[in-house]
Amino acid sequence: MRSRVAALPYVLIFAAAAAIPLAGDDYLVVIATRAAVYWVLVSGLNLVVGFAGQLAIGWVSLLTIGAYTTSIIVARGWLGPLPALAVAGVAGALAGVLVGLPALRLRTFYFAMTTLGFATIVTQVALAWTDVTGGGIGIAGPTLPAPLDSRTGFYLFCLALAALCTWMTLNIAASRFGRALVGLRDAEVAAEAMGISKAHLLVTVFLFSGATAAVAGGLFATLQSYITPDAFTFDLSVLFFIAILIGGRGSVLGPLLGAILLTALPEFAAPLVAWSTFLYAALLLVIVIALPGGIADLLDQRRRRKLPQDRLVVPRPDLVPSLITRRPDRPAMILSGVRLSFGAVRAIDGLDLVLRPGEAHGLIGPNGSGKTTTLNVISGFSVPQEGEVRIGDAPLRSGATQIRAGLGIARTFQTPRAIGEASLRENVMIGGSIEGHASFAECMLALPRHRRDEATLRAQAERCLRIVGLEALADERADRLQHSELRFMEVARALMLRPAFLLLDEPAAGLSADEITRLGALIKAIREAGCGVLLVEHHADLIFDICDRVTVLNLGRELAAGTPSEIRAHREVVSAYLGG
Amino acid sequence: MLITRRGAMLASAATLVGAAPLARPALAQSGPILIGWLAALTGPSSAPAIGFDRGVKFAVEEINTAGGVKGRRIEIVTRDTQGDPTKAVNAAQDMISRQKVNAIWGPTNSGEALATTAVMARAKMPNIHPCVVDSLIDPAKYPNAFRVAPSNGQWDAAVRNYCENVLKVKDVAVVGDTTGYGASAVAASVAAFRKEGANVAYQTQIDATQPDVTPDMLRMRNAGAKVIVVWSVSTGMEARLMNVRAALGWDVPIVGHPALGSGDVRQLLENERNWEKVYMIGYASCSYDANGKLPPRTAAFVARLAGKVALDDTSLWWVASGYDAVKLVAEAVDATGSSASDAIIGYWNSLRAYPGIFGAYTWTPEQHNGFPTSEVVMSQANSQKDGAFKLAPGYA
Amino acid sequence: MLSSILSTGFAIGAIYALIAVTYNVMFSASRVMSFTAGQVGMLGGVFGAWFILRLHLPIVVGFPLTLLACAGIGVLTEIVAVRPVIAGLEKHLYVLSTLALALMMQQFTAIEWSTEPQPFPRIVGRGFGLDEKFWLPLLACAAVILGLELLYRRTLVGRAFLAIAEDNYAASALGLPVRDLRMASFALAGAIAGLAGFAGGELLLASIANGPMLNFYGFVPVALGGLGNNRGAIAGGLLLGLFQQAANFLVGGVLVSVAVFSAFIVVLMAAPQGLFGAPPTRRV
Repeated sequence: MRSRVAALPYVLIFAAAAAIPLAGDDYLVVIATRAAVYWVLVSGLNLVVGFAGQLAIGWVSLLTIGAYTTSIIVARGWLGPLPALAVAGVAGALAGVLVGLPALRLRTFYFAMTTLGFATIVTQVALAWTDVTGGGIGIAGPTLPAPLDSRTGFYLFCLALAALCTWMTLNIAASRFGRALVGLRDAEVAAEAMGISKAHLLVTVFLFSGATAAVAGGLFATLQSYITPDAFTFDLSVLFFIAILIGGRGSVLGPLLGAILLTALPEFAAPLVAWSTFLYAALLLVIVIALPGGIADLLDQRRRRKLPQDRLVVPRPDLVPSLITRRPDRPAMILSGVRLSFGAVRAIDGLDLVLRPGEAHGLIGPNGSGKTTTLNVISGFSVPQEGEVRIGDAPLRSGATQIRAGLGIARTFQTPRAIGEASLRENVMIGGSIEGHASFAECMLALPRHRRDEATLRAQAERCLRIVGLEALADERADRLQHSELRFMEVARALMLRPAFLLLDEPAAGLSADEITRLGALIKAIREAGCGVLLVEHHADLIFDICDRVTVLNLGRELAAGTPSEIRAHREVVSAYLGG
Repeated sequence: MLITRRGAMLASAATLVGAAPLARPALAQSGPILIGWLAALTGPSSAPAIGFDRGVKFAVEEINTAGGVKGRRIEIVTRDTQGDPTKAVNAAQDMISRQKVNAIWGPTNSGEALATTAVMARAKMPNIHPCVVDSLIDPAKYPNAFRVAPSNGQWDAAVRNYCENVLKVKDVAVVGDTTGYGASAVAASVAAFRKEGANVAYQTQIDATQPDVTPDMLRMRNAGAKVIVVWSVSTGMEARLMNVRAALGWDVPIVGHPALGSGDVRQLLENERNWEKVYMIGYASCSYDANGKLPPRTAAFVARLAGKVALDDTSLWWVASGYDAVKLVAEAVDATGSSASDAIIGYWNSLRAYPGIFGAYTWTPEQHNGFPTSEVVMSQANSQKDGAFKLAPGYA
Repeated sequence: MLSSILSTGFAIGAIYALIAVTYNVMFSASRVMSFTAGQVGMLGGVFGAWFILRLHLPIVVGFPLTLLACAGIGVLTEIVAVRPVIAGLEKHLYVLSTLALALMMQQFTAIEWSTEPQPFPRIVGRGFGLDEKFWLPLLACAAVILGLELLYRRTLVGRAFLAIAEDNYAASALGLPVRDLRMASFALAGAIAGLAGFAGGELLLASIANGPMLNFYGFVPVALGGLGNNRGAIAGGLLLGLFQQAANFLVGGVLVSVAVFSAFIVVLMAAPQGLFGAPPTRRV
């Protein structure tokens, strides 16, 4: 997943593909046509499986729907073959949403099972609805008008569609949508906190993926010249799915190579045709265990670059005012009477807290006192039974995690949540996703507004990285970086939306003493720029050093609240927590 | 060496490794005669293909040991299509463009044939196949395609005749499997029965892998069916129908598809008695007369097969038609002196009562259904011996 | 008709219930849902038929050998598809590795055994009024329920299983050999699935199509009864069996499976944690 795509591999592949008819071998053309048709489906499915991480194993159901829709429309003379293909695309888009809907509610394995269920349902319906689909006898596939009806003509048509799909998916991959999808896959909680709506995003990719799959179905029916339900086997579904995983998630080139490989393999080892599915499965197993990143990982150069060893993170707090400017009239965030129980455990037992803009507020207390839960209530991940959180007079709707980012609330997490295979810059760019203006369609077609969005987000990310002192590592994969660098990355990501309130969950954990000092300076600068910072920490020194106010929690209740000096002297706090 | 299932598969794999997947040079008039064989050797509908395959191999061996056709050897290019139309299309194209075969025998499944017909017609590839779906044969649209087995219409006529005039029943249940063949056969059968005034009490398609067919049998019985007509090549499903019929103690005849008498079925029966009162399509060529003798040509063929080809776990007519298919290609090249597509097709179009083992085929430019209806008979399933049968009772 | 529905329904429901228990046992040991559960069930039938009918071993030898073979496949699952994956950070990979292994099992069996359903031997030979293919699965189910109760309540090993199911880290901190216990759990799960396949062999025949079928229908009770909840799984399995057979006998045809799948998806959407499942754990 990179923003700047090396076009060379794609150019080579498609040029070689276009040259195939010159060999004069119809068999090669048929196999290549099949690979192109499968790729049309796989390119769309890639967004669902590879990018969004939704294990839609039974996607052959969409191929079936597309194939039958196109064939039935043409056979009944309602429309010509090309308009029929378009109609199939629409039908597929809607069906794609239907098949994908369970993903919004169910966990991985369960969703995978429901897609398998759908695949069976579609095949059974095709078999039973004899009047429309021809039942077991099947139906003739459409024939395209000349010159697309010759072997070569049809092949070049499919190749053109395959190239179009490649281009569109590459555009999406390099857009805020692509990054957001991977964000949902690898760091779902962080993605929600950044305002990314899982439902919105998934429905969009299911529409796209369903449409491409259905169009592929229409092309498939044309290639076969006749379709019966037994052509849409589970083996085919598995082929699509495995091609993506062998190719590598989050990549377009990898699955493209995977699709070509898996289509061609049984043809060039014909005695193995009975074993082909076994081999695919074995290949998948090997990839999962030995090379989970797939072919894309092998091709990724960024993994090979040696990183300098003794790297220091040196933030530039002086750059903060260029990003965030002080607005003295912004309302405060107020928690009042919050009560939250997990079953019999009272996590928060009546909490009042005020976070003013331009103020750093510390939240300390023993483990289990409810600090992170408080942050979760503000973020919306935990829903209190009583009480409310409001900004000024406007209450925050509890549980609606995705609206927080838009209201200027950003946060970091106890354990850094990053997308390992993405670069540091891309990880930070996700933070600004909701500020993009281009729609999915505009991104898909690389229209000017998308390009402007990308430039803006990129510049903004560079600025944030410079503020936290990580700009030298902007191109490196996040999974190669040190823990402390990831912590600072989270801060940079949180700054992307120039938040009004910044919630920091133990940002100093795992940092060295020097790094903690630098972090402190950075937080001070952020506070001075007008942001209200809520800092949950165990490092008491950091708290007392930079916070204007401190609240001490114990057993979910406020034990003490006041200025740092007041708290330091407070007898109960000292005995319960600070010691000495 | 007894040719059995496993051996067939391994041998065909070896054949293909031997016939390297490189494009063959176009040597039309010399060099080996290449026959493509699109066989569903694995999968639920594989029983016929395995039978055909034995006949094919035997024919090739016989012809080549006798010196070939005008000095040219016969070579078979086998591709296991697994009953998958996608693989069938790929394989057909491979045989046409790369292997450059002179003729193709198969595919063996109607679902596959429906897809490959267009491919072969486009290439004008001489094609013989045993699939029964009526729409597959159309001399105007597909002048290159010839059928060596009876069409489904011919089968259905024989079965209807037996039910109505010999068994004398008016209430029938028509059952098929869920493949393309099963669907079309059931539909055609039901329509024809109704046209002749019979009462179709129940019709259904059963998935070949469904393990328990009791619900379906109960519904048939409750609907008042007096005979069960079965159109399916799935020997497993047919064995299960017979087993449940016995378990329910329901004395009803089962009539229909030739696979009902296949050796596989016997292996899957719980009891030999369950095979009684099963009457299926048979062929005069593969039936024992009142004296227990096969027609002379078939008897001679069986004698040649003895010790070389196993017959008791398959059907003789499958082996015979596989044999005939190869011979038809060989004879065409022999008679015309050419293995070009036009020559072969032209020769086939001129055949009048060609004496094959399986049948006496007649093909004209207007009629590509070669099997004479008069040779379709009804046989008794449990009279199987060496893959051939006795005529069904009451059958003249 | 009713008696057929009840007898077949309970029998097949018992098989589904046992596969559901297999899923649960695998899950408790590793927090992994494995696609191999149904495949091992299928292998129970295939091994049984192979040992007894093809190799002509006596039933007293063939049966334990089948259980042993299936336990071995369970261990294989753990070593090949589960262990390498749960060590890593990417949790979802287990879906893929177990799917891959399940496919390999199915394809291998299809090629080496047969793609057609094959007959399964008669075990007892006496009916007690009801044919053995109907009460053998129920007997197996009862045996497993009893066996698991005894195991978890009365034996140390069983309690160790419960411990690693409850809290993996704490268990290993206490010195329990977590890895070996997990392997043993998978062996147990494999044996249970094998028992299901063997007991159900006469009803389902030895067919590779049973693999995906048991995978799905064995999963439904787990999803609806709540993951890790064996009682819910067994109740769910029996109910599913009855529902499915009622539909099969009364309506029949291809649309029965459509109805079951659709009902399942709808119910699951309404209650993603199952009808008796636990609420989801904290995410942040």
